[in-house]
Amino acid sequence: MKKVSIIGAGHVGATCAYYVAEKNIADIVLVDIVEGMPQAKGMDFCQAAPLRQYGVGVKGTNDYADIADSDVVIITAGVPRKPGMDRMDLLKINTEIVKTAARNCAEYAPNSTIIVVSNPLDIMCMVALDASGFALRRVFGMAGILDSTRFRWFVAEKLGVSVYNVQAMVMGGHGDTMVPLPRFTTVNGIPITELMSAADVEELSDRTRNGGAEIVKYLKTGSAFYAPAASAAEMAEAVLTDEKRIQPCAAYLRGEYGHEAIYLGVPVLIGANGVEKVIELDLSMEEKAMLDNSVDAVNEGLKALRTFYTMR
Amino acid sequence: MKKVSIVGSGNVGVNSAFFIAETAAAHVTLVDIKEGISAGKALDLMEAAPIRRYRTKIDGSDDIAAIAGSDVVVIAAGLIRAPGRDRAEHFEENAETARQISASIVEHAPDAVVIVAIEPIDAMVKVVREATGFDRKRVIGVGGILDSTRMAHYVAEELGVSPRDVNAMVIGSHTNRMVPLPFYTRINGVEVGQLLDAEAVGRIVEETRKAGDIIVDLAKRANAFYAPSAAIAAIVEAICIDLGLIRSVSVNLEGEYGLEDVAVSVPCKLGEGGVQEIVELALNEETRQALAVSAEPVRALFQA
Repeated sequence: MKKVSIIGAGHVGATCAYYVAEKNIADIVLVDIVEGMPQAKGMDFCQAAPLRQYGVGVKGTNDYADIADSDVVIITAGVPRKPGMDRMDLLKINTEIVKTAARNCAEYAPNSTIIVVSNPLDIMCMVALDASGFALRRVFGMAGILDSTRFRWFVAEKLGVSVYNVQAMVMGGHGDTMVPLPRFTTVNGIPITELMSAADVEELSDRTRNGGAEIVKYLKTGSAFYAPAASAAEMAEAVLTDEKRIQPCAAYLRGEYGHEAIYLGVPVLIGANGVEKVIELDLSMEEKAMLDNSVDAVNEGLKALRTFYTMR
Repeated sequence: MKKVSIVGSGNVGVNSAFFIAETAAAHVTLVDIKEGISAGKALDLMEAAPIRRYRTKIDGSDDIAAIAGSDVVVIAAGLIRAPGRDRAEHFEENAETARQISASIVEHAPDAVVIVAIEPIDAMVKVVREATGFDRKRVIGVGGILDSTRMAHYVAEELGVSPRDVNAMVIGSHTNRMVPLPFYTRINGVEVGQLLDAEAVGRIVEETRKAGDIIVDLAKRANAFYAPSAAIAAIVEAICIDLGLIRSVSVNLEGEYGLEDVAVSVPCKLGEGGVQEIVELALNEETRQALAVSAEPVRALFQA
């Protein structure tokens, strides 16, 4: 049986454990620094198994040694955004948390693939890559799948069609400079630009860009976790089953789209080896300009990171 | 729980019952004139339920009156073609079968949506619609959805990617003049042409046209039934839980795409009551022409 470890047993981590458990593809270890909490959630999951009919084990722990030999490690730990708090405000606290998690991955699960969920996402990917010392393809981030599933829901809701029908592509950094691509957002293959007005397309693109903030605004003291957890579980599944999905993820670029030494949301082929390929789409001038703008925002974050963090 | 009746307990009928059971969308009644076969298959399916964990009830009958009260009736009876023969081979005999079943539907399940899975599909949509007198939105042919899933398979295989990320679109008649649409064939939203060169796309289009024949030739006798059954179950699920699912299915056209009184597959929104909307794609002139040509073999059957 494959093994997935989830660092951080808060809402995102625990919900992710739930979605992975229901896929029945790997044993799960939930790690958190809070004493007793991951153990309790692990037990609770095991006690739901007879009803939900999953056969995998779920174990909670405070000890990183329990992640030994994991195939996938999902790093969700971090401080959540508060209303009015920009993603960059989290930078220092979360860098320390992700660094610790990634170093423990290197020590106990040196053959794993790391999926980063902690925010600010594109920057935390870089921290995880640096602190783990893993190969580039084995550290990637959950962003585009989440932004896309939000876009997909907004489209399905607007048109009154089944969510089964809707595919979407959102590229760029995981922030308000992200780049929703309406011509690659389709209903049973039909681009939404054929199915709704330009104003509606723009409205839904904007709503997607602010998808995370919209939920934070409602919750006041928390952020979204169902869709983020589902997104991370989908990526873990693709790695564990070598599924070869083509989905947008934060991947390390080496010249693709004209950028390098940066994590950016781009379509990638996900399989047993993590990011097996970065897919280069033929973007229009306008789309490329939006992507470049998003790169600038991520580079700002990297610049902030370098003020207190020295890369190896 | 909704009720679906399947007339014809052959491979297509029984596998449709199986896939529908796994979607949990409806109870299923299998009906066939061949004595005992429906009850036997239904019992076998129910005995698999404790292992497969579906709660759907499946029963079988030799009496067409068992379809009473159905929300959906699937016509999966009729003669199937021999290897090397055309789907229209048994047009006359199957039209007669379809008319008889239609009369029973009018008598026992007058409010049902009818799913037509008897060859030649598009012509039978017209036959069933006329024989039942039902509104066209309640008579749906299993055409493009099947051709589309086959095309999606070929695209996934060629790219070496998960079929979950692939959505293909084939419209037109369910004949070798079907119209695969590469522009509307997407991998997580991305046009297939961005990921494969024109030669590979052309090859996939040709494979899609011949997909049904390839299976008949390989299997020598039996027609394909897993993919057709999956297509039927998807339509049933869309109707029974009112999904608003857009799929390419055969429906009688009344002016859409410039076609009058002929059934071919075009994208339709499927939900409670059947076809809730016909989606008109912005096709270029060449593709519109190909669609018109695709409808010709369907029209020709009624002119003979």
